[in-house]
Amino acid sequence: MSAPAVPDERVAAVSPVRRLLVRPELGALIGAVVVFVFFALLSSTFRSADGVANWLDPASTLGIMAVAVALLMIGGEFDLSAGVLTGTTGLAVTILATRFGLNVWLAVLLSLVLALAVGLANGYVVTRTKLPSFIVTLGMFLVLQGLNLGVTKLLTGNVLVGGLVGRSGFDSAHLVFASSVVLGGTYFKVSIVWWLVLTVLATLVLLRTRFGNWVFAVGGDANAARKVGVPATRTSMALFATTATAAWLVGTITALRNTSAQADAGVGDELTFIVAAVIGGCLLTGGFGSAVGASLGALIFGMTSVGIVYAGWDADWYKLFLGAMLLLAVFANQFVRRYAERRRRS
Amino acid sequence: MRTRGFPPPDTDPAGAGALLSVDGLVKQFPGVRALDGVTLSVRPGEVHCLLGQNGAGKSTLIKVLSGAHTPDAGMIRWRGRPVAFPTPLAALRAGLATIYQELDLVDGLTVAENVFLGHERSRFGFSLRTKGNAEAAALLRRLGHPDIAPGRPLGTLPAAGRQIVSMARALSYDARLIVMDEPSAVLDAGEVDTLFRVVRQLTADGVAVVYISHRLDEIRQIGDRVTVLKDGRTVAAGLPARTTTTAELVRLMTGRTVEYAFGERAGPARRRELLRVNGLGRAGEFADVSFTVHSGEIVGLAGLVGSGRTEIVETVYGARRPTTGTVTVDGRRLRPGSVRAAVRAGLGLCPEERKSQGLFGEDPVYRNVSVASLARYATAGFVAPARELAAAARALTDLDVRPGDPRRPVRTLSGGNQQKVVLARWLVRGCRLLVLDEPTRGVDVGARTELYRLIRRLAADGVGVLLVSSEIPEVLGLADRVLVVADGRVVHEAPAADLTEADVLDLVLAERDTSGWQRANQGHSAVVPHDRSEEPT
Ligand SMILES: Nc1ncnc2c1ncn2[C@@H]1O[C@H](COP(=O)(O)OP(=O)(O)OP(=O)(O)O)[C@@H](O)[C@H]1O
Ligand SMILES: [Mg+2]
Repeated sequence: MSAPAVPDERVAAVSPVRRLLVRPELGALIGAVVVFVFFALLSSTFRSADGVANWLDPASTLGIMAVAVALLMIGGEFDLSAGVLTGTTGLAVTILATRFGLNVWLAVLLSLVLALAVGLANGYVVTRTKLPSFIVTLGMFLVLQGLNLGVTKLLTGNVLVGGLVGRSGFDSAHLVFASSVVLGGTYFKVSIVWWLVLTVLATLVLLRTRFGNWVFAVGGDANAARKVGVPATRTSMALFATTATAAWLVGTITALRNTSAQADAGVGDELTFIVAAVIGGCLLTGGFGSAVGASLGALIFGMTSVGIVYAGWDADWYKLFLGAMLLLAVFANQFVRRYAERRRRS
Repeated sequence: MRTRGFPPPDTDPAGAGALLSVDGLVKQFPGVRALDGVTLSVRPGEVHCLLGQNGAGKSTLIKVLSGAHTPDAGMIRWRGRPVAFPTPLAALRAGLATIYQELDLVDGLTVAENVFLGHERSRFGFSLRTKGNAEAAALLRRLGHPDIAPGRPLGTLPAAGRQIVSMARALSYDARLIVMDEPSAVLDAGEVDTLFRVVRQLTADGVAVVYISHRLDEIRQIGDRVTVLKDGRTVAAGLPARTTTTAELVRLMTGRTVEYAFGERAGPARRRELLRVNGLGRAGEFADVSFTVHSGEIVGLAGLVGSGRTEIVETVYGARRPTTGTVTVDGRRLRPGSVRAAVRAGLGLCPEERKSQGLFGEDPVYRNVSVASLARYATAGFVAPARELAAAARALTDLDVRPGDPRRPVRTLSGGNQQKVVLARWLVRGCRLLVLDEPTRGVDVGARTELYRLIRRLAADGVGVLLVSSEIPEVLGLADRVLVVADGRVVHEAPAADLTEADVLDLVLAERDTSGWQRANQGHSAVVPHDRSEEPT
């Protein structure tokens, strides 16, 4: 080949620092380290094995959602119904198992079918009408919120459905979704395993598969992608289904853990997922972001919510802290994008 | 005058041996017959140029060919067989690739990912990245560009590099014909040379190219044959590109003889000093720029795309905040970085990126013209539509916008005509100092002459004009005084009469050692001194 050695030098000419700087998860990584060091200095419990297990727990359920929501956001869409859907799926499992006497596994399976139906409905309406997903899923959010309350009250006359313990299949389902793993004498929730597996899986899909390529392309410029034959509609549908599946997983985990479900569960969480994804480097405009970043965003949330308690502060400070984190992350993102644009010009 | 009913002498009648042949193609839009019997025949390995005025139907023709529009009548033969591509993708898969001006590339993906987007190199759904990168590198090498790294994010490539990537994509589908719609409009002189080298490489391999441009000199350089469209009809097919005279081509395009000259101009009657720019600079963009514009004077900024001219005029206009220096109008300092202050002082800027900067697609043409000067047609806050319409219509006639109906939605106008609409907006605005950034980009030969006349007339009325153009003859012909800009600095200033095209080119090129996107490749900004050791050989 006539190619000189020039091209490789050119690639190397982009310094490693620059390349690191434009990684989406850099900000979240720094944030996570800072938050960890901060609370570890304040509280010895925080840095003990039990403490770690404790803050990994909320990080895990949030992380499962944040990763899925990050995929969706990279694909250029939002899902505001994801939070309340965790409530819906948990309620479905509990109600089907306790009021209809189904095997817990069957209830879990039917709950998954329900979640997929909701996700695909979101995807269908968004891709079909070309309305902003923000509005469409806001509608779905309200529908589900109403359904959760209405159906639960209608069937049970209460806003809390309990009594999962002892139902057929409960013990095995509990083992899979809600048990703990002992590691060096410390109990870690099994949801942490789910979270880690999903993060790895999502990263693999994003960076190593054709589908992942399509996600970036559809989020970056859907029209351009469609013109060269990327199945943009199917990609979006799959992403909405993924978020719904994650919501089902979290809903199931929560229901089996608590052995009950609450009619207003998950309401308000949808924004937390988006915030975690954004802290993790996702742009609101799509086409950019990372699953690892979203997981780190969730980790920051988990550490903060537990760390504040360990530090002996009032939990009310939690939101303030997170607000500041979010703003910082967005500033950092903005800076990175400017930087990238500056390089583009010339 | 030729009429329909070909073939002209050098096309073979049956179209046998032609890669693509088109006959009697018709495309009707609401209210406009964009194509009204187009004939075209493209041979393998040739560069076939499409010429025609703004709105002649060139873009529509290639959209019909590539399957983006369905024709209403006519026959398209591709490699001897009648075809009707249902989508651009179908055409691409059959080997007919189209490169539009708004490139279909995704910034967030790498070069290689863009090349293979939609037909990824993968096994069981997993990307074979190494394979994709290697194949992309091979395609880029074939295009003479081993310097574009396949793993580089596309967003970091400038316009010329992106076009190369588009071509690599076309080749990845094994394209036999690549259609390019005004590819040179966004490139500087060096980049156009690069493009031409690539085109020659392609044609040497037997790939045919259909090339659209309003610059006749380019057609002479790169073209083999020319087909001229006028009002949706082929008025001449398969003319030899090199030997057909300019006068003949222009006559075919416009149906009249256009005097393609600037004419003499009474020396600049220097009157008052209108604008004074002193030591203006912006970190990383340009430095130490000083000049003046008098009323009735036309000052030209010559230089390459990316040399900092746009940044300079935008800073003067207040759209960017200077880091050093001052802008003074009529002896009064303007508040830095304030467009409002600039506008109130009588400045107007017709921007380079006319498409992205403010056309209201669904609004009628006249409203797009008058939007910046509504106050002038208003009484007590209410706009008088008749006056608004009349003023807009006058400007549109002046610029020869077609179709002339000012009530059409501006979206339905051809690319060049949309450009004219934005120009008209600033012309009716009545500024005291008008900044025009690349005013003739995408504008056809006939309308260009009109535009020149108009700019001259404004100057004669006492308006100061600051003109940015990459076409050196244009700057030299229009301006009284010329500033040559290179790498963010004014490297020379002289009366236009004292400069020749060669002088300016020398000045401009002396300052640069690599073309813009190669520079970006190395991560340097336009004003950072170059490290010559990194220069490609
Ligand atoms: N979508 C559309 N709807 C209605 N009319 C259209 C549409 N697209 C193009 N036209 C009209 O068709 C005619 C041909 O337009 P076209 O874009 O093909 O011109 P062109 O030769 O490419 O011009 P330019 O040199 O300015 O790019 C014009 O009169 C234009 O107004
Ligand atoms: Mg056009």
